[in-house]
This record gives sequence, C-alpha cells and structure tokens, in this order.
Amino acid sequence: MADAILTMEEIDKSFPGVHALDHVHFDVQCGEVHALMGENGAGKSTLMKVLTGIYSKDSGTITYEGKEVAFSNTREAQEAGIVIVHQELNMVGDLTVAQNIFIGREFMKGFTIDDKKMIEESKKLFDELKIDINPRDKMSDLTVGKQQMCEIAKAISHKAKVIIFDEPSAALTEKEIEDLFTIIRDLRSKGLAIVYISHRMDEIKVITDRVTVMRDGGYVGTLITKECTKEDIINMMVGRVIYEDPKTESKVPKDAPVVLKVEHLNAGRMVQDVSFELRKGEILGFSGLMGAGRTETARALFGADPKTSGDIYVNGEKVTINSPQDAVKHGIGYLSEDRKRYGIVVQKTITENSTMATLEKYMSGIFINKSEEKKITEKYIKELATKTPSSDQLVVNLSGGNQQKVVIAKWLVRDCDILIFDEPTRGIDVGAKNEIYKLMNRLAAEGKSIIMISSEMTEILRMSDRIVIMCEGKKTGELDISEATQEKIMSKATRDIA
Amino acid sequence: MPGPEKETEGNVEKIKQHPFVKKVGFNRVILFCVMILMYLAFAIMVPGFFGLARIMSIMNYVYFLGFLSLGVTFVIATGGIDFSIGPVMFCCGLISGYTLVNKGAPVVAALIISVLIGFLFGVFNGYLVSYWTIPPFIVSMASMNIAKGIAAVYTKTQSVSWPLSNDPAGGWFRNLVSCNGFPVGLVIFLVAAFICMIVLNNTKPGRYILCLGSNREAVRLSGVDTKKWEMLAYVICGTLVGIAAIFFVGAYTTVQPGYGDQYNNEAIAGCVMGGTSMVGGLASIGGTVIGVLIISLLQEGILALGFAKDIQLIVTGLIVIVVVYADVMARRRKN
Amino acid sequence: MTKKKSILSDQRFIVLLVIVALIVIYMIFSPEFRKYSSILSMLDFSYYDILMAIGVTFPLITAGVDLSIGTGMVCYALIAGKLIRDFNCPVVVAMLLCVLFGLIVGLANGALIGVMGLPPFLATLCTCMITRGISSMVMATPWPTTKQPGGWFHSIFKLTFGTGRNALKIPIGFLVVVILVLVMEFVLNHTKFGRYTIAIGSNKEAVTLSGVNVKFYHVMAYAICGVFAGLAAIAYAAVVPTVQPGTGAGLELDAIGGVFVGGVSATGGYGSVIGTLAGVFVIVLLKTGLPYVGLQANWQQIITGIVLIGAVMIDVAKRRRMAKEQ
Repeated sequence: MADAILTMEEIDKSFPGVHALDHVHFDVQCGEVHALMGENGAGKSTLMKVLTGIYSKDSGTITYEGKEVAFSNTREAQEAGIVIVHQELNMVGDLTVAQNIFIGREFMKGFTIDDKKMIEESKKLFDELKIDINPRDKMSDLTVGKQQMCEIAKAISHKAKVIIFDEPSAALTEKEIEDLFTIIRDLRSKGLAIVYISHRMDEIKVITDRVTVMRDGGYVGTLITKECTKEDIINMMVGRVIYEDPKTESKVPKDAPVVLKVEHLNAGRMVQDVSFELRKGEILGFSGLMGAGRTETARALFGADPKTSGDIYVNGEKVTINSPQDAVKHGIGYLSEDRKRYGIVVQKTITENSTMATLEKYMSGIFINKSEEKKITEKYIKELATKTPSSDQLVVNLSGGNQQKVVIAKWLVRDCDILIFDEPTRGIDVGAKNEIYKLMNRLAAEGKSIIMISSEMTEILRMSDRIVIMCEGKKTGELDISEATQEKIMSKATRDIA
Repeated sequence: MPGPEKETEGNVEKIKQHPFVKKVGFNRVILFCVMILMYLAFAIMVPGFFGLARIMSIMNYVYFLGFLSLGVTFVIATGGIDFSIGPVMFCCGLISGYTLVNKGAPVVAALIISVLIGFLFGVFNGYLVSYWTIPPFIVSMASMNIAKGIAAVYTKTQSVSWPLSNDPAGGWFRNLVSCNGFPVGLVIFLVAAFICMIVLNNTKPGRYILCLGSNREAVRLSGVDTKKWEMLAYVICGTLVGIAAIFFVGAYTTVQPGYGDQYNNEAIAGCVMGGTSMVGGLASIGGTVIGVLIISLLQEGILALGFAKDIQLIVTGLIVIVVVYADVMARRRKN
Repeated sequence: MTKKKSILSDQRFIVLLVIVALIVIYMIFSPEFRKYSSILSMLDFSYYDILMAIGVTFPLITAGVDLSIGTGMVCYALIAGKLIRDFNCPVVVAMLLCVLFGLIVGLANGALIGVMGLPPFLATLCTCMITRGISSMVMATPWPTTKQPGGWFHSIFKLTFGTGRNALKIPIGFLVVVILVLVMEFVLNHTKFGRYTIAIGSNKEAVTLSGVNVKFYHVMAYAICGVFAGLAAIAYAAVVPTVQPGTGAGLELDAIGGVFVGGVSATGGYGSVIGTLAGVFVIVLLKTGLPYVGLQANWQQIITGIVLIGAVMIDVAKRRRMAKEQ
C-alpha cells in the first residue's frame, strides 16, 4: 500500500455534554477516493472540521506530507493544499463566478483588484475541467449544479492536494453527478487524494476505492470498496440490515376514488401545463432531475407560490387555492424539502410546532387550551415514535429525522387527507429513513393520499404506486409501479436534454 | 439547506433551577435584583431619594414609556423594529391636544383621537411592512418623518399645553394618571401589561406573532395568514403608542412638535433589556416592565444626582450593549 | 445567462430624472429658486448629508445600518468647536480631531457588530444615544465665521472672492464631494475592501469560509462610515451658525433615506456610491426646495417619508417581478 498523504490518528474532541470524536483514525493516499461514511451525528463533519482548523482537537495527531500539522483556520489548511467542497454551497450570489473563485486571494494590481486576470484564470480552470461556464456571470444566475462545479474549480485553483467533498451530490441531478464523477476520476488520475462524504450507497460503490465508517463519534473500520457489499457497510454503520425491497405492484385498487385532480397547472417557467390525478390511499411518486419543476409544481399546487393558470379539484369539487391557507382548508399538507427553512420553527417547542396549522381547534374562547394542545402532541409523539424527553422540548434540539416527524405530526393533527412529501428523507440518516418509509406506507394504508417528490431513484421505486416523471417544467410521463424501471424513468426524465 | 448534520447532539445538562425561577426566567430575576440594587444605590447617594414623592415622579415616566415599550415588544417579537414610536406619540399628543385646546373639542374626543392616530400609524406601518415587505426600519424611518411633519403642519409648529388638573372642563383626564395621590396610572399600566402578557402567551395572535418572528416561511406554509398577524403586531403597537401619548400629556402637560426621538431609544432599550430578542421569536412582557422601570429609575436618579438628563442616555446605551451582548453570547453557546 | 439591462431599469437613471424634474418644477414656479444664491445655499446644506450618506452606504451594503451618524456628527462638531473656542486649538487640528472621533466611534460600532455580533440596529442605537448624551454636555459653541481667524476652512466648501454684495462665490464643496464619491465608488468596485463589503452583505458565511478576515472588513465598513461622519461634522459646522447640543437625531435618516433612494438594496449585497449621491440629492432638493414653491418647511418631512417608501417600493416591486419571471 502506498504511503498516506494525510493521516489522522487518535483524534479526540469533546463539546460540553457530547463526546463528538472518540479516538478516531483516518487516512487518505494520493490517487485514491476514500469514502467517509456514517449516520448523521456520527462525527464525519466534525472530523473534517478538526482537520481544516474550524475546530481545535483535544488530542491526537494529524500528519500531512510527513509532517505533523495543526491548522488554526480554513485559510491555513487551504494554503497547505487541503480544501473542502461544502455541502452547503458557499457562494456569494451578488459577485461573479470569477470573483467567487478567487475570493480571499484576489490578484492585485497595486491597490486595485485585477479582475481581468481573474477572469482569464477562471477560463483556464474551466477549460481544464471541461466545464462550460462564463466567469463573468453572476453566481446567483447559475443553476445549483453549475454552482457546485464552480466550487470544485475553486478547490482545484487552490493547488489542492487533498479535496474533501462533503455530500456533493445532495443537490445534483443524475447527469450532473455523472459529470462530477468524471471530474473526480480525472483528479484521482492526477494523483490527488480525495475524501468523499456521502449518504448514497450507490455512489460509494461506483466512485470510491476505500470506505471508512464512523459511528457515534467513534471509528468502526476501513474496508476496500471492491471487496465489500452494501450490506457490509450498512451493518457497520447501524449494526443491522434494513433495506427493504422495491415495490413491484400497487395495492391500490384501480377504481379508488380520485381525491386530487390537477389540470393544466402553469406557474412560471418551471411548471408548464402539468396535469395529474391522485387516488385515495395511493403514494404518487414524482421523479425527475433537479430543476425539473417538481417542487415548483407542489408549491404552486399548495398556493405557496403564485400560479398563472390551472384547475384543481379536491374530491371531485373544483377549488381555488391562492395561498397555503386555502390549501390547508381543503385538507392538503406540504412537507418541504428544506425543513429548517420551511418546515419547523426551530426555536419553539414540539407542541407549538405540532398545533401550528390547527390552533383554532385548541382554543377555549380566545385563549389557547394548553393542556388539550399538550395531549394531542403527546399522542403523536407516541404514535410516530418521536425521540424526545418531552413535548416541551425545543425543536432545535431534535435530530433531522425527529424534526421531520414533528412536521408530519403537524399535518396529522390537522387531519390532512392529502400530504405532499418533498424529499422526505433528505439529510436523514439510514435508520430514521426507514422509519419514515414505514410511516408513509402506514398512512397510505389508513387512506391518506401521498404525493412524494424524490430525487433518489431507489426511494421512488420502493415507495410509489404510480410515478409521474417531469422534465424541464413539463410532465413527460406516467408509469405504474409494475411497469416502472430505472431505465424507463431515466429516459423520460432526460427526454429533452439528450 | 437540507438538514445539515447536527454533530453536537444531546442536551447540555442545565443547572437545576427552582420552579419559580424557571417559570419567570433566570434573566428576569437578575434584572429585578439589579433594579432593587439600583434603587438602593440611589437612595444612599441622594438624600431624600427614598420616599413616595420620588416614586410617584418615577412613575410618571414609567407610564408613557411603559406603554411605548409594551407596544414595541410585539413588533420586536415578529423580528421587526419600530423607531417611529416616539415621534408618533408626540404626533398623537399634539394633534389631539391642538384639537382640544384650539378647536374646542371635548376631552373625551381628544383622547379618542389620540388613540386613533396611533392606531392609524400602526396600520400604516404594519401594512407596508407585511403586505409590501418593506424592511421595518425603513418604514419606521419614513413614518417618523411623516409623524413629525404632520404634527408640525397641523399645529403650525406651536407647542400644545393640555389642561391642568384644576381645569374644571378638561382637568378630569388627569385622574387617569393619578387621583388624589393614588397612582391610577400604575394600576392601568399593570393591567395593560397583564393583558399583553395573556395576548402574547395564551392567544392565537400572540402564538403566531412569536412563531413568525422565529421562522416566517414555516408558519406561512402551515396555512397561517402571516401577513395579517404581522400587521396586527404593528397595529397593537400603534394603539398602545396612542395610549402612551395620553399618559405623557397627563404627566408632562406640554408637547412640542419636532421631538420625541429619544423615547424610541428608551422604549426599545427597555424592551430589549427585558429579554425580547431582536432576532425575533422571544418576548417577555414581564421583562419589558422591569426594563422600563430600570430606565425610568435611572433617569430620575441621574437627575437627582445633579447630572444632566442626557447622562442617562449614555448609561442606558451602555447597559443595552451589555444586555444584548449577553443575549448574543447565550445564543452562541446554545449552538 | 447574460441579461441585457435596459437603462430604464437602472434606478440611478430614474433618480436622475426625478432630480431634473424637481429642479425644473422649482425653476418654473419659483423665481427665487432661479437665483444663484439659492442654488449656492442649497448646495451648502447638502454637503453634510452627502458626506454622511457616502459613509453609511458601506454599512448598508453589508446589510447593516449606522444610526449614530447624525448625533455623532453633531457631537464631533461640538467638541471640536469647543476646543477651538476655549482651548485655542488650531482649526486644522480640530478638523482632524473630528475625523478621528468619527473613526473611533466607527470602530466601536464595527467592534460591537462585526466582532461581538450585536444586531446593527441595537448597537448603533446605543452609540447614537451615547454620542447624543456626550454632545448634550458640551456648551453650544460656534466655529469661527468666515471673517474670524481660522475661518479659512469655509473655503473648502465655498470659495469667496471679493467682499460684500459683489463677492464671487464658487461652491467648490460640490467638486470635493464629487471627487470623494468617485474615489469611494472606485474603492467599492475595485479594492478588496469594497469587494468584501459587498460579499459580506450577500453571504457572510461564504466569505468567512473562503478564509477572508471577515471581522476586519466588517469593522472597516463601519470605520469608514465613522470617518465620513467626521468629515460631515466639518461641513455641518461650516453651514450651521451654532451647533446645538443634543441635536442631530433624525439627520441620519436623510442620509440613509438618500442611500435607499439611490438604489442600494434594502437587504444588502448591492449598491453604488454614485447612486447614493443622486439619491441624497433628491432628499436635499425636497428638504431645501419645497419652501421655494410655497410649501411649509414641515411638508418636507412628510414628503421625504413618502419618497423613501416609494423608492423602496420600486425596489420591492422590481424584485417581485424578477421572482415571478423565474
């Protein structure tokens, strides 16, 4: 085995009340892609933050290029050649691409910034990576995928020797992921060391050479990717096998009543003439690439964004939905892809969040009936198996999966019959994911109707009864689960892109 | 961003607190102690400070500032700000007073006009902030100018003096402030504060105002009419400012056009000192009341010590910096 | 995705039209306004507003605000005036001290906001109260008049040749502020400080993670603002017969209002100093011009308020349209 360019040994780090890293070991060699895996809260990000100087370690050693190092901030790490491509995009929207790539180390001409040179250098970078982006464009005008490419270009321009990808694919389309992998392979062949953090098992198998698994802040083990199976990795992560098989046929009767019918929905560029039906007890999957207009369709349907035209029928009756209030009135609930921003009020308690949409039910006169409120909240905490010491807990203190359960509880308290799950398992660890799946199946069995938007093909195939596929704002196909395959969906989702 | 990892999970074990302290809030208790200590300090330093007359004089300041502070608490809870309250209060006092004195309107009408003007400014501010999404501080900057302008134009830049208590026709309204030495104003103020507390903690508007201060989009997507509730906060604020004007003229008689700015600062300071967070989502009426008491005490004490009133501005400024910094640090530790 | 922007969509162009329209209206309705002396006096009273506005453009671009500039300006002018009168301090030194005081208060604001993390409103509200308190303790003291020794500093803003009625007065102060505007526009667009100011307003977290010393540049934005408040103090002392203690509250609003009229985004991340100049000019025209057309001076406040709301409404409407198109 070649020598490691970077070795972290016996890294230990505690926060008040939490032992975040417990004598962790990690190393990466030149010319390899090394996956770092673990459930949420396993300590992956903390480890990388210790490496790049955002946190200081309590004990342990970091050896880089044969020397012991201790970076005190990201800048020092960057200068040494260790760069993170963040999960959350760190771009300044109001500046141009070139200005973003060279932020913090602008080329100077005396007192002034040499923008011309920065643009030239950016062009060179993009040529090298075979990406087509104009460095003069404003960053906020680019798609998420292109912004990610800019991040990578920025990392490479640092003359990086070690690049850490922190969940790079979370916001990318399948096609963009392909491009990303091409770039990563290219970087690997040039002898760079790459750390790849991801939740997606498929990607790990495709792109990485070795896998290190962490659990609860501790080091579990390192495997050679080729020599292990998915189940091996999952077992190391959670200690049990949990994957369910894909659904092969729908249990929803063909003549089940249509609870929601959408006809010719239009809203801006992203939603063009979308029509579909949702039956009682059905899980309707919405598949497509990022930017296909699925979330936009859901938001327009829900009244969160204005729509230009289109008719909506709930239980056969035509309804007007111009705001979320209207939608909720007609029994539609929406679980956003971005929980922290659109789903929960983090600084408030579980109770306050759970009754948010239904407060008028828990009033006695003009006052809020706090004991009733608490009762119903506790009922759903039990029913959904939300892990929390009490209903008075602030939501900010819950994990991603439990926060999602609070949002679900909010709509169940409201007794919504139509639920729109937008990326229900994004940012949720494997164990909690499975619970959410079980819950969705149970809700459907109880007669609720669910629209599930998902970018994960496996999720779509495992959960849906029927699948609507969208591409560039248009509905491009509809498949029954019995006839759906990954290939069929993909071909429809990329119809116009070629 | 899709739920980023939360590495520091588990709750930091809190120091065990007495249930009463927990209910009232640790910071409130400390604030209350500070107030008592301050009072004692002034009482030692200034001969004759200790006594009912002095307290009544402090109370005069507490009433109007208290209503301003209560009002702005609602606005700050939504994550907004309103620093037009001082000039708007003066505008209320001036226009209603001018109508009373120069146009011969009855006192009752003048009082109603005062509250009504405050209410209208609240509607104006609230509408622009919530339905037009104009940043609150710009709106309050504009309405501050407008309030001063309207008052000056209407009164032709003259100051207005409200009738004194011995005035047979209109003097009775002063009984609202103090009646035969009994502090009626204090009772009214405390009742108002209690109502505000109930509204904020136990009613729908209060719940939504606090929640939308913390995460507006999430509340909207729960099917709540956030614009309505946000606007309501400004309307409540405006109405309370109109009431504040009554207590101001009840205590100080004369209002001059073109002033009132400083009371913004003091009212906001009182509110923030009491633990209402500028980031929104957290508010404490009890805290606001104590904050107002502290500021009033401070201004009375500093005058009594023989300093210019404006030293109080400096001291208040410094205190607010310290308090807000403590709040910021507490939040940082939490995350 | 390169979008061609029409000149009409540039708020600066609209503002320019408004300025021209206002001047034309005044000229038509008021013979008084057409006089050179009126224009001269209008310019005289515009300098301190413009200087404050140039400064406060920077905090506003970082999505912050500085409410202490008005009271601060008065405070510096008062202290410096007292030094000149009572301590025989040379005027040059007094002027430098104004700038120095401004810098100190600016740094304090910057430290509170950029380093300690206080919300800009509260932090500067506090320094506003503090500077006002300090200024209240200083006796009202006029700076030297043109004829007194040390009165030369008036020539920075208004060159006077000859004496009496026929004296030729040239408002070179306008040239001074235009040069300062151009310099600061250049600073905003072509230096690290300017770039990071914009970047902080746009996405502070991202700048931090890029290894930029964000705290330093954040503090700098407020320091620059303070320095310009100090410069404004000199201009203020030059036109106001006696600086009154405890005043100045509300003056910052004219400057901040001007910046928004000039097109700085209310949520930070975008702005231009040239736009600020144009925007402040609208406010100044309203402030000094309305009496000429027979409106009571107090109407100015009302109209300023409405104009401010209008300007931001345009910004909001524009952004809504853009959001709808997407």
